[in-house]
Amino acid sequence: MTEIDAARGPAGPERNAGGVSVWARLARSPAYRGLATLTMSTPRRQFWALAVLPILWVVFTHFAPLVQMLRVSLLDAYPPTIGKDPEFSVEHYRVFFEDQLFFAPYMRTLIFSTTLTFCTLLIVYPVAYFLARHVRRDRQILFLLLLLIPFWAGEIIRSFAMMLVLGNNGAINIVLRWVGLIDRPIPFMYTPFAVSVAIIYLTSLYMLLPLYSALEKIPQNYLEAGADLGAGAWTRFWRITLPLSLDGIAAGCTLVFLISTGVYAIPVLFGGPNTTTFAETIAGFFHVAGDRWPTGAAFSIIMLLTALAVTGVFNRGIRALQKDKHR
Amino acid sequence: MMDGTRMDDTIVHIDHVSKSFGDTVALREMDIKLARGEFVTFLGPSGCGKSTTLRLLGGFEKPDTGRILLSGQDVTRLPPNRRRVNMVFQDYALFPHMTVGQNVAFGLELQGMGRDAIAARVSEILGFLELTPLIDRFPEQISGGQRQRAALARALAPDPDLLLLDEPLGALDARLRAQVQVELKSIQRQTGKTFFFVTHDQNEALTMSDRIVVMNHGAIQQDGTPEDLYLRPVNRFVAEFIGETNIVEGTWLGQEGGLGRMSWQGATLTGRVPGATPAPDAEVAASVRLEDIRLSPDRPELENAVEATLASSLFKGNHRIHELRTAAGARLLAMGGQGGPLPVAEGETLWAAWPAEAMTILAD
Amino acid sequence: MTRSTRLIAAFFFWAFALYLFLPLMVMIAMSFKDSNFIGFPIRSWTAGWYAEAWRDGDFIGATGYSMVIAVVSTAISMVMGTWLAVLLTERKFWGRGIVFLFTMLPAVVPGIISAISFRIYIRILDMEPGMAAIIFGHAVHNVPFVALVVASRLRTMPKSHVEAAQDLGADPFVAFMRVTLPFLQPALIGGGIFCMLLSFDDFIRSFFLGGYDPTLPVLLFSKLRSGMSPEISAIATVVLLVTAMLGLWAERRMRRLERG
Repeated sequence: MTEIDAARGPAGPERNAGGVSVWARLARSPAYRGLATLTMSTPRRQFWALAVLPILWVVFTHFAPLVQMLRVSLLDAYPPTIGKDPEFSVEHYRVFFEDQLFFAPYMRTLIFSTTLTFCTLLIVYPVAYFLARHVRRDRQILFLLLLLIPFWAGEIIRSFAMMLVLGNNGAINIVLRWVGLIDRPIPFMYTPFAVSVAIIYLTSLYMLLPLYSALEKIPQNYLEAGADLGAGAWTRFWRITLPLSLDGIAAGCTLVFLISTGVYAIPVLFGGPNTTTFAETIAGFFHVAGDRWPTGAAFSIIMLLTALAVTGVFNRGIRALQKDKHR
Repeated sequence: MMDGTRMDDTIVHIDHVSKSFGDTVALREMDIKLARGEFVTFLGPSGCGKSTTLRLLGGFEKPDTGRILLSGQDVTRLPPNRRRVNMVFQDYALFPHMTVGQNVAFGLELQGMGRDAIAARVSEILGFLELTPLIDRFPEQISGGQRQRAALARALAPDPDLLLLDEPLGALDARLRAQVQVELKSIQRQTGKTFFFVTHDQNEALTMSDRIVVMNHGAIQQDGTPEDLYLRPVNRFVAEFIGETNIVEGTWLGQEGGLGRMSWQGATLTGRVPGATPAPDAEVAASVRLEDIRLSPDRPELENAVEATLASSLFKGNHRIHELRTAAGARLLAMGGQGGPLPVAEGETLWAAWPAEAMTILAD
Repeated sequence: MTRSTRLIAAFFFWAFALYLFLPLMVMIAMSFKDSNFIGFPIRSWTAGWYAEAWRDGDFIGATGYSMVIAVVSTAISMVMGTWLAVLLTERKFWGRGIVFLFTMLPAVVPGIISAISFRIYIRILDMEPGMAAIIFGHAVHNVPFVALVVASRLRTMPKSHVEAAQDLGADPFVAFMRVTLPFLQPALIGGGIFCMLLSFDDFIRSFFLGGYDPTLPVLLFSKLRSGMSPEISAIATVVLLVTAMLGLWAERRMRRLERG
């Protein structure tokens, strides 16, 4: 009869001995039961219970701020003055195209971001390449983690550290003076150069990670096969490694471009009057009192559209290039 | 084993159930009843609908039409958590963050059983399956065979009316699988539970089952005991799917004295007709098992006999497989004893013969 | 590869490492300088700036403020990010592509625009700039990140686990709490640390959404604009060490996950 016991288990009041678990108690509570019927009794209800809150969240917190910014950019004044309803106006967009004062920083930011993205790619590609190809597999993660340390210090602290290097009494000037190359400090700070160095310091890790993971995925035997077919080092790089890392290049450049268009603290800290970026221009409308918010919003919209258009075209180009190589 | 026989021993009734996924029909009008305490195996190639049947019983899919009755209660629309059915998954699906003991206790806890009762039940079931020493181990710390038994313990613990097993032996190596087949059968006997076993392995099905349901293209091909299926297949699919067999194709001649007659390469063959009676002059096939063909240098006194050449003879350990070619070029396989000399030398002619009751004539 | 390309790559690598670390080294050195003026040369050393930083009420206050913001915003990001990840990986529904796009939106909007749009949005919601606004901004900004990390972990979970839980009597909610969440745990811990660091380090959103009280990066920023002292070095060094250690730990955890 032990066989039957093994099949059935205890029955009757002894089933409850020792108290029941939290989960069983939860399942028994009337409140939970009501809620469960409401949310889980049919597949359709289950879906809505799962979907409603996150969809509301993305619509009202991810998407709505941008929509509201668009709306405000089309009002003649915001925040509204008491007793006067704001009216529709495209004035703030017109200002952008007509006033040279605003167009210059816009173009500067675009050119700057594009150039910096390209520079970051040129600097970081060999680094990622070295890491993925010439460092022992088991050490790669360690090296990568070490390179990530500055990343965790944050934008401001890294900027500060860079200021200590570039300043008139900074590390570079001290070394140059000590060597005897110069006798008066070179004023690095408040120049486009300083801004560039600081921004690359900020963005290079966003380039490193996608490049590394793309390069790391290229199987070694592709290159060996290439070598076998008589391809030289340069040909192998140009025909195998580079095309296969295009995904990483696309992701890295997109990230870096978007970050460098949106960076504010660095141009403020490192820049001078002739390096004013569009981010600074936009911020200006929100610092000085009140009524230029719509202009700031309009400029933000212009910048957002530009940034998305540039990255969109760029990514499309990369994809076309990939298809071309596949043929 | 069962306490008191009841009038109706049906525990599962799949009542005219159909199910499609998009354009693919997974089940067509399935109608079948399973009795309490049976070890039923659903057997068929992948995509035949056996797994869909299992998932319908578990509550993971809902039928398009038809009903599913469990112990007389309509459970068609009940979710898995409200059915007294438990499942042993193909990958066991043991929760990796719980020990074996916690895995087994999971279902009991959700039933609202008290802690002491759970502890007692867990140790009882683990003892029964000889897993007691592993109670505090995590799934990744035990072997494949132990995992399979832990999954079985977890499914048995809440005392389900029906236990579903989804190819639970697939992940085990061949030697272990043979051993587990025997174990599983004996566990089923001892617990008296209804086992619903799904597999594509006919060997497994023959070894363990009380009853086998062969499926193909979403429909039941044959439903019977292992002996039925092996000895009396009702159609060509079943004959070919279960065991090894010779299929001969010929023309239907008619019935005579309870036996069917067909012509094959000039000869007239006689055999049983367990399935549907073929139409006059229809193309028919017949199945003859390898072990039923007798070989001799002279024509023996049997209903069916053909002359053939011994093309080759393969030594298989405990038996031999002889490959024969008839004058018309047909190929027959025959099984022979391992010892002794060959009936004739390779390349020479001999007679292959089999009795009428060893041949099954199949309409399709 | 040939020797020369290897050498060139190695040179770039170490030069890059120097570029990354030299400024931080200088910063650490500067924090021990016994002078009120920042910059070289350093003639005598002191640990006094650390004591100074410790006594600096502004610094301690800003750190605490940043921490509270980091913890609360992370909690929100984790809940919403996980929820979205579950919805997007486990369900196929009409409009899923758009929901995914919206989920990722905060990750692709450039920093200044994100900050400005939130500045306008909280005004429309009649929210005062301050802690709640910053928490809101940080929480939204970090959601895509949590969603990505959780979704990639979730995709490795066999479907049978949840089915097994339901089979044993768990309703979908209990199955999620008792089987899915424990499975996601490593990703949640790693992702949570990342979120906290992202929030703790964030400048642009805190700067535009903040009220009278500064978060730590905002405080440092204003100190940098008004003139530097070695005390900033000391503060920055402490922050660097703590965040770097946390970041390394979280990164290690998640890398191990990807492999295992």
